[in-house]
Amino acid sequence: MDGPTDQLEDRSLRPLTGEFWAAVDRGELVRPVCADCGRSFFVPQFACPQCQITNWAYEPSTGRGRVYSHTTVHRPPTPEFDAPYVLADVDVEEGWHLLTWIVGCQPDEVSIDMAVSVRFVTGPDGYRLPAFAPDEAAR
Amino acid sequence: MSGSHPLNQVAIVGVAATEMARQLDTTSAEISLRAARAALDDAGLSVADVDGVAARWPGPGGTVFQPGSADWAEVFGHPLRWVCDTYPQGVPGALDAAAAVAAGLCEVALVFGGQAGVMGGAAVADYTRPDNEFIACWGSLTAAQFALVAQVYRHRFAPDPERVAAIAAAIRNAGSNNPAAVMSGRGPFTAADVLASPMVAEPFRLLDLCLATEGAAAMVITTAERARDLAQPPVAILGGGAEWHRQQYVNPPRYDEVWGLGADAARRAFELAELGPQDVDVFELYDINTYEVVRQFEMLGLCAEGEGADYLWEAGIGVDGRHPLNTDGGLLSYSHIGWGGPTLKIVEAVRQLRGTAGPGQVADAGVALVSGAGSGAQYHNVMVLGRG
Repeated sequence: MDGPTDQLEDRSLRPLTGEFWAAVDRGELVRPVCADCGRSFFVPQFACPQCQITNWAYEPSTGRGRVYSHTTVHRPPTPEFDAPYVLADVDVEEGWHLLTWIVGCQPDEVSIDMAVSVRFVTGPDGYRLPAFAPDEAAR
Repeated sequence: MSGSHPLNQVAIVGVAATEMARQLDTTSAEISLRAARAALDDAGLSVADVDGVAARWPGPGGTVFQPGSADWAEVFGHPLRWVCDTYPQGVPGALDAAAAVAAGLCEVALVFGGQAGVMGGAAVADYTRPDNEFIACWGSLTAAQFALVAQVYRHRFAPDPERVAAIAAAIRNAGSNNPAAVMSGRGPFTAADVLASPMVAEPFRLLDLCLATEGAAAMVITTAERARDLAQPPVAILGGGAEWHRQQYVNPPRYDEVWGLGADAARRAFELAELGPQDVDVFELYDINTYEVVRQFEMLGLCAEGEGADYLWEAGIGVDGRHPLNTDGGLLSYSHIGWGGPTLKIVEAVRQLRGTAGPGQVADAGVALVSGAGSGAQYHNVMVLGRG
């Protein structure tokens, strides 16, 4: 069971971000897109950061991107996290970015500007999360 | 020092810091009150004189808006004319208090805060674990947010690791020489010691990173006119400024957006002061990690982007160096007390300008620069202080 269980809060009910998490639970990556200027942005805000229009909607992402920065965490903030793990800021193709993990390779194989694509994983609290892995097709 | 802008009409007249330790056997409210009373004693004032409060502490105490500055009206036994709860510590707290005093909203503003009885042994401080839904799920402690910025810097400029580590060693040696520091007597440290310490979040090793400790700090700000009759030589706020890039710990900080964070605030602060960064005698900079120190010298324009570690290596950052830095041992080695941490920078700067800073005293220090937060927090603020 990868999705929310009875013990977990139903993330799909969260204001603004529920649709994002519901998509993640289906194995899809989406991002807010402004209906007016077409800009993709993240994190979800009530208004577009370019034109302040509140009329935006989630649209599918290709889930392909590049590593803007990364750090390997050796001492996690809480014991549930299994160190070492690679935190990264990934630039996604449609012009948005998010904090995530790089999985599917050794920490020392991660580099800035490396091509990556989304790979859904289960976090320590049992929720599905959109991590990224090296994108072999892009090499 | 006289000038025409409103900040010239106020002065910092009292400062205090309590004892600092990994854990203190008291409460946050009690340790904060102790710092407040000590700062008033330092100024030659009493609680009865206070008509403005900017305070923050992680409970207990306070009411429904807790913890809030107005709660101290009850403890002080009289109403207040001005309170500030937006960022009631450090540089923003001092600038807000100075503006309130200059505008006549209050006459004696007390800025104070700290923490005690809240740090849990080996666990990291809860304020270093942002709880935003797009941050917490990844196990992203605040140090890792700063690390994402430092990693791009390393990728582009490949600074000499020994020269970066030497900055942490120098600040930690200042703390080792400071009897009041949590890490007092723990040195001397070398760059090799820093590079041999355990990795936390690349590129930060344990000795690159600030403490999370307990204690409290306070400062008193009043009119320059009243300052003339008080116990200490007044310290003037020559200039100040802040930049709020975005709310902290929601989106990851981007090197290209935040490496220069504070440059505009610093430019405005030095313009008000009619001085430049080269005129600063002592720097009390927010040393949340070693790379933030490098970043701030580049942001100030004292050296080019990518050259900070080499520049500081050559300039020297000890008491006898060209840029004496974090003379109390800083957040790395003296103490970092949560919300009270930013105020510790001002306490040390004021003592430097009075000539009472102890082993870290810089000879004839006349101009001090104080800063708060940094790239990973996505806001930065600076204040130029001088003799009143």
